Amino acid sequence: MMQILVDAIVYAAEIAIIAVGVALSYSILRFANFAHVQFAVVGAYLSFAANQLLGFVLPVAVLVGVVATGLIAVLVDHLVFSRLRYISPEGKMIVSWGVALFLRAAIASIFGGAARVFSTQPVNLSLGGAYFTSQDAIVVGTTVAAMIILNLLLYRTRVGTALRALASNPDLAATRGIPAGRMIALTWFISGAYAALGGTMFALQTRLQPNMDLIILLPTFAAVTLGGLDRVFGAALGALALSLVQNLLIDVDFGSLVSDTRWSVPTQFRDFVAVGAMVLILLLRRPQEGREAR
Amino acid sequence: MIDFVIFSVTMIAIWSVLGISLHLQFGLTGLVNFGQVLPFAVGAYGAATATAHGLPDWTGIAIGAVMAPLIGILVILPAGRLTQDYWALVTLGAAEIFRLTMLNVPNIAGGVEGMSVYRFASNRVGMAFALALLIVAILFALRLGRSPFGRMLRVIREDEMLAATLGRDPVEFQRSVTVVSWCIAALAGTLYAHVVGYISPNSFTVVETFIVWMAVVLGGPATISGVVLGTVIVQLTSVSTRFIAEWSHLGFELVSNLRLGAFGLVLILVFLFRPGGLIPERSERVDAGSQ
Repeated sequence: MMQILVDAIVYAAEIAIIAVGVALSYSILRFANFAHVQFAVVGAYLSFAANQLLGFVLPVAVLVGVVATGLIAVLVDHLVFSRLRYISPEGKMIVSWGVALFLRAAIASIFGGAARVFSTQPVNLSLGGAYFTSQDAIVVGTTVAAMIILNLLLYRTRVGTALRALASNPDLAATRGIPAGRMIALTWFISGAYAALGGTMFALQTRLQPNMDLIILLPTFAAVTLGGLDRVFGAALGALALSLVQNLLIDVDFGSLVSDTRWSVPTQFRDFVAVGAMVLILLLRRPQEGREAR
Repeated sequence: MIDFVIFSVTMIAIWSVLGISLHLQFGLTGLVNFGQVLPFAVGAYGAATATAHGLPDWTGIAIGAVMAPLIGILVILPAGRLTQDYWALVTLGAAEIFRLTMLNVPNIAGGVEGMSVYRFASNRVGMAFALALLIVAILFALRLGRSPFGRMLRVIREDEMLAATLGRDPVEFQRSVTVVSWCIAALAGTLYAHVVGYISPNSFTVVETFIVWMAVVLGGPATISGVVLGTVIVQLTSVSTRFIAEWSHLGFELVSNLRLGAFGLVLILVFLFRPGGLIPERSERVDAGSQ
């Protein structure tokens, strides 16, 4: 049981940090940004390049990757989305697919399709009968720290207040002198940087490949949907809930409960749970909730 | 050379039909469906199932044409009342659930290995069928677009509230158009399976949905000529990737990546500079007295 909990927390930590960015950008930009998942992949590759090609130590390399991806996100906003502020959210969503595809092709062209791995030597640890690696601990620690920093930024600083004002009422915020353009750029930077951090940790735990986006996409959007598209920390809770259900389903030996043979849900069904949970939650939402927002 | 032309024409016809099914949903009604590959896949798997069980070919068509709208209703029934963001996620999720099921449960349809399907005796027969289906789809979509039903779909696209004020239930219209559109997409899928002769879950990924979207957005989502033109451009680029790779010595993988990147870039540019697509919708004046 303890092992299931630990596994769930580690997986949740990887997803949560990407999901938080989706929710943050949705709350301010008001569209589901599918390019966000691609920022995670771009960030992971940039961290990898900084580490293996430029020879930075890993923490510095991750920092380089994170900042660079944040800047790329700002650039994407400047070149594309800043010119499309007034089209429908559906339109922006479709454009974000275009951006995602472009970034994916760029990564695949530069780095090739083969899988790559970060060379790290994690130490095995155990706690209360559950086994994990030092790397797992670092991933969880980083996520917790990142969440605390984002919380402090949003709720303890003037910039955070401005961002929240923009999220709750853009027109009123602009009237009160909040520089919407700069705040939107900041939103892009933060969500891009967080996506890069999450993507790097995801790649550290598994491996780096261009089709990582499809592996991250569904659990991320499932987590965000569970938490509510525009609730920043709801996304983190959504990731935790989702991960718990996934790991419970996969790790528990259902076969022994009803017969003598061991049988549990195969690991491939992890994504299944994610998509299933997402669709279920969407279908069970209260009817008028969506319509009100228009 | 002649085989290549036949293959290209067949592919353009099949993907145009799929594009028209998206035109009905997105171009006319404004539904953002990111899982358009789902009914296509259902049609293809219908054909594969019929072949595997030794059933006559028309059963494959029937399986696809019945199953796809049924699944469509299942998806849209509860999703009809969601906003567009969520509707996009639900359709994307539904398509992925189908693909993951086919991938991870080999008992149903061979898992990742896929299944082989009965192929047309000659590629000319395949092309004839594809062109026939395309013509039927075009005539049907034109007729539907000009009918009062089609006009109401446009009203829903522009303003759901207005449609409701006129006493029409937008969800009901969206449901009907989804059933029709998914049925058409399933037929395209069945034909695709019989032309290619082999299907696997990898033929029905998010990227395939995106390629249809790309063609529709580039040509003009609200016009049928636009959808066909967009499909011609996208499919010609796709089928010639191999030749460009040979000619430029860049390697197939790199060239196909560059092609996808170019698609993404073109999509962005279309939205920035030509939002209505290459052939945009013209505004129509309808004189109420003549109706």
